[in-house]
Amino acid sequence: MTGYLLRRILQMVVVLFLSAVATYALLNLAPGGPMSGLRQQAQSTRFRITEEDMIRIRAYYELDLYLPIRFSRWLIGQPNGRIIIGENEYFPNMRIGCNQVIEKEVLNSAGNYETQVTGCQKYIFLRDLEGRRTSAGVLFGDFGASWRLNRDRPVSDLIVGRLPKTLLLMGLALLISFVIGVPLGIISAVRQYSKLDYAVTSFAFFGSAMPTFFFGLLLIMLFSILPKGAGLPYLPPGSSEAVRNYTIPWLGTITAGSTLDRGLHLILPAAVLSLAYVAGWSRFVRASMLDVLRQDYVRTARAKGLFERVVITKHALRNALIPFVTVAVFAIPTLFAGAIITESIFSWPGMGRLYILALGDYDYPVAMALLFITAVLTVVATLLQDILYTIVDPRIRFS
Amino acid sequence: MSTSTAPAQLLASDAILTPEEKMWKVILRRFRRHKLAMISTAVMGAILLVSLFAQVISPFEPADLAVGNYFLPFGARDEATGLVHYLGTDNIGRDYFTRIIYAGRISLTVALTAVLISTLIGVAVGAYAGYYGGWVDSVLMRFVDFMLTIPFLPLLLILSSMLLRNENLIPIPEPILRISGSVMLLDMRDARQAVIIIIVLAATGWLQAARLMRGTVLSLRNQTFTEAARAMGASNGRIILSHMIPNSMAPIIVDATLALAGFIILEAALSFLGFGIQDPVPTWGNMLAGTQTYMFDRPWLPLIPGIPIFLCALAFNFIGDGLRDALDPRLKL
Repeated sequence: MTGYLLRRILQMVVVLFLSAVATYALLNLAPGGPMSGLRQQAQSTRFRITEEDMIRIRAYYELDLYLPIRFSRWLIGQPNGRIIIGENEYFPNMRIGCNQVIEKEVLNSAGNYETQVTGCQKYIFLRDLEGRRTSAGVLFGDFGASWRLNRDRPVSDLIVGRLPKTLLLMGLALLISFVIGVPLGIISAVRQYSKLDYAVTSFAFFGSAMPTFFFGLLLIMLFSILPKGAGLPYLPPGSSEAVRNYTIPWLGTITAGSTLDRGLHLILPAAVLSLAYVAGWSRFVRASMLDVLRQDYVRTARAKGLFERVVITKHALRNALIPFVTVAVFAIPTLFAGAIITESIFSWPGMGRLYILALGDYDYPVAMALLFITAVLTVVATLLQDILYTIVDPRIRFS
Repeated sequence: MSTSTAPAQLLASDAILTPEEKMWKVILRRFRRHKLAMISTAVMGAILLVSLFAQVISPFEPADLAVGNYFLPFGARDEATGLVHYLGTDNIGRDYFTRIIYAGRISLTVALTAVLISTLIGVAVGAYAGYYGGWVDSVLMRFVDFMLTIPFLPLLLILSSMLLRNENLIPIPEPILRISGSVMLLDMRDARQAVIIIIVLAATGWLQAARLMRGTVLSLRNQTFTEAARAMGASNGRIILSHMIPNSMAPIIVDATLALAGFIILEAALSFLGFGIQDPVPTWGNMLAGTQTYMFDRPWLPLIPGIPIFLCALAFNFIGDGLRDALDPRLKL
């Protein structure tokens, strides 16, 4: 087991490194990025962006460094200056970037002029990195500074500020869906082909076909806009808490930021998320329960004359929940990453919304941090799944 | 005494009287039994017909702006031409009904093409990996594991934003743009967006199909009929083409139908989040996102495009379920 664990952890590190490389490359290799639009501005006289400004801005986004150097600085915070071991300085003349590129307008095959980089006027060497802002590296828990959303403030501040909101929303939705979804699945499997079973399976179809964004709008319409118009009590349609005090019929004035206010804001997004999850979980539990109920040991238990209740809870359910436990582990990364679409509809200030904002605004340090943490959590969840497998199902052994 | 080993003479009454049914007839009969799947097929048929005859049915052009006629109510009459805005007009005076129909054509084409491409790739890769095993198999499986660590929707968003913002990153041959443009009634520039979304969806969707195909082929490879085929001297290529692929079609077709529902929702979600096909081109997702701001006084504007998304997703789910019952009852849970 120890050997297996060690091997798995080594594999995890490799997979994580590759996924970090892949996501970093995807974000950074594409042209455009944070500099898009600046070139046009540089040419207009109104903004007067000089050549020096461009160099400074490129240095701010580290776009003047070559990609592997940039990646290494992001991942482990190195190199951050001269490499001096003992008395000797190593690689003093290695070119690690270009401060000022030589550009040429070239006529391409389609007959349009395009800008091509043909050379470099001033290379960057390791010594030039001294004095630059360098993070300690993602591996050591430093996600660097945000570029745009919260300019020059640490990414971790942004995450810490938003994580509680996401944890609250996702935690509640997952809790509701476990509490409702699992029993629904069990009952509908035990009473297969009953009216209840048909109701549950139809509901599961409905839930999995219902797009979150449409269901969200529908709920806002039904529980917020219509009752508000009719003078009935309504639910707030967006954000996680109110800015000003507001009055709801029957409930009276609600203080902004109070527990009641937060609770009211939580209901709609949690309901939307729960629908999808309940549908998924009840389907999953039903399938695995049906599978178990067909097994010989269940028939044996019945033949022994055990009460049906004992057969279901002691013999069938415990085995049916084995795959469930291991799949439920993947709620961990979901808890952190939040729900992109639901958070967008209800302008819930959580992690999913943060990711969308970061991607739309080219705030790559923030987007990369979120992707990286989610990837780490996913990999950890996979490992946890394997370990849980051996605990809940002793038949499985890894070697 | 002599024991005869000759078979007893077959009597006419011993013959099997039930006529042999063609396989597709059996499948059709089983499919018909699934009422919801039949209704769904009818609904999808109607939606497909409407989008096929989009130009005939819709009274206006999708990009026509009626200046000043913003937010017209249902059934308003256009004064200049006398045509009816069945569902009114949107915030910049475009006929809503026309746009819904054209959007359907685009959304369905995107989903169908993406499923077709991802299933073809998945079947090819999965069959190869499952049949030959070896390094192709282990590379594929490691790659699938690796892709699973990157969160799915965020990855999709990065891919589509990267490709949509940099039009020349992937050179798309002009004939493809022209054909897809004429199918979706778009000019080449707008067709590029749709093709990019198809590429993004197919690029992330084939993994699932490949895994499924690999699993099925792995179990088929060791069955007796494969051995028999090999004993009769069939080549590997022949075994794959005429034994592996036909025998694994049932789960693949069911999976592809369910993937259709998923892709319809995903495409709409991408558009909704602003990382999909952009506004002048109508899709159900971006119509819903674009009119979301007006939902407090005109809630029907964002709700109407949501209905066909939901209907299509539900219908494809039911059809997939019906096909599962019809093609291979053992798959039913």
